Amino acid sequence: MSSTLDEMIHSVDKYQEQGQVWMEKLLTAARPEAVFGEPVTAGGYTIITASEIGAGGGFGFGAGGGVSPAATSSEAPGEKQEDSGGGSGIGGGGGSAGRPVATIIIGPEGVRVEPVVDVTKIALAVFTTAGAMLLMLGRMNSMSRK
Amino acid sequence: MARLKDIMIQWQTISGSSVTVGDVTVTPQSRALTVRWPFGGFVWNRPVAILVERDGPHFVECMRVVDVTRIIQLGLLGFSLVLSIAVFGMSVRRKEHRS
Repeated sequence: MSSTLDEMIHSVDKYQEQGQVWMEKLLTAARPEAVFGEPVTAGGYTIITASEIGAGGGFGFGAGGGVSPAATSSEAPGEKQEDSGGGSGIGGGGGSAGRPVATIIIGPEGVRVEPVVDVTKIALAVFTTAGAMLLMLGRMNSMSRK
Repeated sequence: MARLKDIMIQWQTISGSSVTVGDVTVTPQSRALTVRWPFGGFVWNRPVAILVERDGPHFVECMRVVDVTRIIQLGLLGFSLVLSIAVFGMSVRRKEHRS
């Protein structure tokens, strides 16, 4: 039983270390290099892209063990019989997303920051807002008639 | 369950490595929100500004990186909230007037 417990403690330590490695990898998204791209030079202009980045994740682990009830009941005095087992597991999940925000253009006429407009996102927001407001106005109209 | 003291929240502005083109040096700056708990965490990192140095470090210009998409989204949200409150107030007033 003690060997199973040792194995479990060892595996939990291993999982915790593995989790820390994942976390360190995740935290590389907090560096400015993750947001600003490598400078690209073409035709006398140098362009750097700037993006918004979000990343997140989590993990969990569990371990358990026990002794078979049959083994404990059939144990005769002086006879040491061990029928035990244990197990452990780890699971986790995460995701990341990025969106271009602006481009920095360094040229002969100076430095410019050109915003990147995400038309799809704006259109989705407009339709969602308009839909929600129409729904609300309709409900309010029907409530005021009652 | 994660204890509150184990949760680490960081909100910091970090400067990246500078890029020099001719006599212009550009230093990008980003702001990152890092939330970390014992078994997970998340990072939200966005560009904030660029520092432009011309003719040496004596003349430094700060150019903000504006997120137009986010501003429009928040503007729409604010507009819809204000309009909703106004319409709701009007309907309540109309109901009171009727009764």
